[in-house]
Amino acid sequence: MASVNISQLNKKYGAVRVLHDLDLQVADGRFVVLLGPSGCGKSTLLRMIAGLESITSGDVLFDDTRVNDVHAKDRNIAMVFQNYALYAHMSVRKNMAFSMRLKRVDKKTIDEKVTWAASILGLEPYLDRLPRELSGGQRQRVAMGRAIVRDPDVFLFDEPLSNLDAKLRVQMRTEIKELHQRLKTTTIYVTHDQIEAMTMADDVVIMRDGYIEQAGSPMEVYDKPNNLFVAQFIGSPGMNIIECQVAVKNGVYYATRDELFLPLPAQAPVEDGQALLYGVRPEHMVPGVQSAGSGDSRASGVVRVVEPTGPEVHVYAKMAGQDVCAISRERLAWEPGETIYFQPDTNHVHLFNKETGAAL
Amino acid sequence: MSSSSVKTTLRYLFSILIVCVFIFPIAWFALTSIKPISAVFNKDRVVVFDFEPTFENYQVTVFGGKRSDTAAGQNMGMGTSGTGAYDGRSSIASSLIIAISSTILATAISLLAAYALSRLRFRGSQGFMHWILSQRFLPPIAIIIPLVFIFRDLGLRDTHLGIIIAHTLINIPLALLILKSFFDDVPIEVDQAAMIDGATRFQCFYLVVLPMIKGGVAATAVLCFIFSWTEFLLSLFLTSSIRTIPVKITTFVTSTGSEWGYISALGTAAIIPGFIFILLVQNHLVRGLTMGAVKE
Ligand SMILES: Nc1ncnc2c1ncn2[C@@H]1O[C@H](COP(=O)(O)OP(=O)(O)O)[C@@H](O)[C@H]1O
Ligand SMILES: [Mg+2]
Repeated sequence: MASVNISQLNKKYGAVRVLHDLDLQVADGRFVVLLGPSGCGKSTLLRMIAGLESITSGDVLFDDTRVNDVHAKDRNIAMVFQNYALYAHMSVRKNMAFSMRLKRVDKKTIDEKVTWAASILGLEPYLDRLPRELSGGQRQRVAMGRAIVRDPDVFLFDEPLSNLDAKLRVQMRTEIKELHQRLKTTTIYVTHDQIEAMTMADDVVIMRDGYIEQAGSPMEVYDKPNNLFVAQFIGSPGMNIIECQVAVKNGVYYATRDELFLPLPAQAPVEDGQALLYGVRPEHMVPGVQSAGSGDSRASGVVRVVEPTGPEVHVYAKMAGQDVCAISRERLAWEPGETIYFQPDTNHVHLFNKETGAAL
Repeated sequence: MSSSSVKTTLRYLFSILIVCVFIFPIAWFALTSIKPISAVFNKDRVVVFDFEPTFENYQVTVFGGKRSDTAAGQNMGMGTSGTGAYDGRSSIASSLIIAISSTILATAISLLAAYALSRLRFRGSQGFMHWILSQRFLPPIAIIIPLVFIFRDLGLRDTHLGIIIAHTLINIPLALLILKSFFDDVPIEVDQAAMIDGATRFQCFYLVVLPMIKGGVAATAVLCFIFSWTEFLLSLFLTSSIRTIPVKITTFVTSTGSEWGYISALGTAAIIPGFIFILLVQNHLVRGLTMGAVKE
């Protein structure tokens, strides 16, 4: 096992720069998820760690060894690809044994390893089948089996679940996490699905356009987003963002927009007249039937759609011309067109600079 | 009868008609090869099936047998060519040597080149493909005269090696193009997975990707074989004593008449290997091979 350290990493395709001075530390045994929208450079970064893509400048270190010039086959990593990349002409058994056969491991050890991996992944009944005779989820497991038999220093996953249906994805998510808890191998996992990232990661690294926007534990990035992008990317339904202007009423600061008076956290670093973006997650937009009397704050809107999901109710409303969503665990029945009052929880209000999007 | 079953019936009839149009000359040719001369050259009527089948034409051309008196009788006093002139055995041997060798060479060379062109990014790789393709723009007849001189000066004229080289060179562009498209169908992640598993570039090629497209390789080899087996012009110009089957058959058209029986016998016999090979690889000509390697 190994830690992975990346410093000042850059990647250019011709004149196009896709990664910009990235720094990233992955401690030994951690499960780190690279999260970002499609095209932000996650795969490129992962492939540079794997040695499949050349490094324009900067360093990749495994523990303290610089591996920039080490060939992929000598890095002792394992990788699971989005399309699985199985060897179509080999049985499941041979797919998993391939790396050991190349290393001329003796047959007995190979058999033991393959049996061990197959039992972990529930592949025993399929060992002699060809990949084309397996379902999507089973192929996915073969790809993982091929990776775990190698005792790699680092596991790399590139969107391994995105070709599976929703139910299987949830199941495999748990299995991969369980596998990591069992093997404790350093893992770097790429996805564009924030739920995958939140549920699986020890640390989430959020990327955009070749930059790292924020890195931290899932709860850290959820509770304390550095900027507007991270705030909006994490969480579903997404954070409500309302363009506001700071105003003072009776000596108290409010974020205002038209007739809205949204409460600000105490000690918020704002001044009168300042333009800002007011962010609050749906579960902190507590809905009520009448205005809760807290000072002069007024937040009312018109109900558009009500979506009961079972455990909770999602209420979509229009508030001062902006769409907002609130989540309530109370089974209150709202009608579209009805007026609804909100009470944003000031402990969970996020304020962002209107120009830069940076958190205030 | 519903209208859809009428349609189906019509469709079948039409397909059968088309097949007949294509099959008829071959069938007639094959039929001629087992007709006695009296049936081939009947002035009064066309003999279709009512004849005594004879395998003499095959015996003479394919197995080097003696021509019998009846056959000789037809040609009595016409020309001096003895039975030996119709013995196709050395031609069959030459054609086999040339077709098999040039097929192996062309396929092997194209395989390596196609893998490189499919997998490696290098300066001018795109231009290289176009250049390769451009080698097929000229019809061989346009270059045949200089080629004869070049081969003569190199000492390759009228040697097996000479035609093997000529056929290999002609086959490479097409084989390269077909094989590259087969390689392109295998996702590059398969190579990368193998490399991460510890394979060298050659092991990726040999142990992983090549077996995944082996049906495509077989199909390509069959196309090369059939080209070489049926090639006429280069063989005619580049040889004088070595006669491949297509060239040999033309010598059965003599100043004293055409030996239709021998022509059709050797010709029919020559169809057989290509026919068998096509049957063997016809499934692989359909690209179902990479299935299962990637998402469906
Ligand atoms: N081989 C390549 N040549 C040129 N540009 C590339 C190449 N591979 C990726 N890119 C570009 O690099 C950027 C990052 O790609 P990628 O790492 O695949 O994104 P992600 O995996 O986050 O969706 C994209 O804008 C993509 O167009
Ligand atoms: Mg990607």
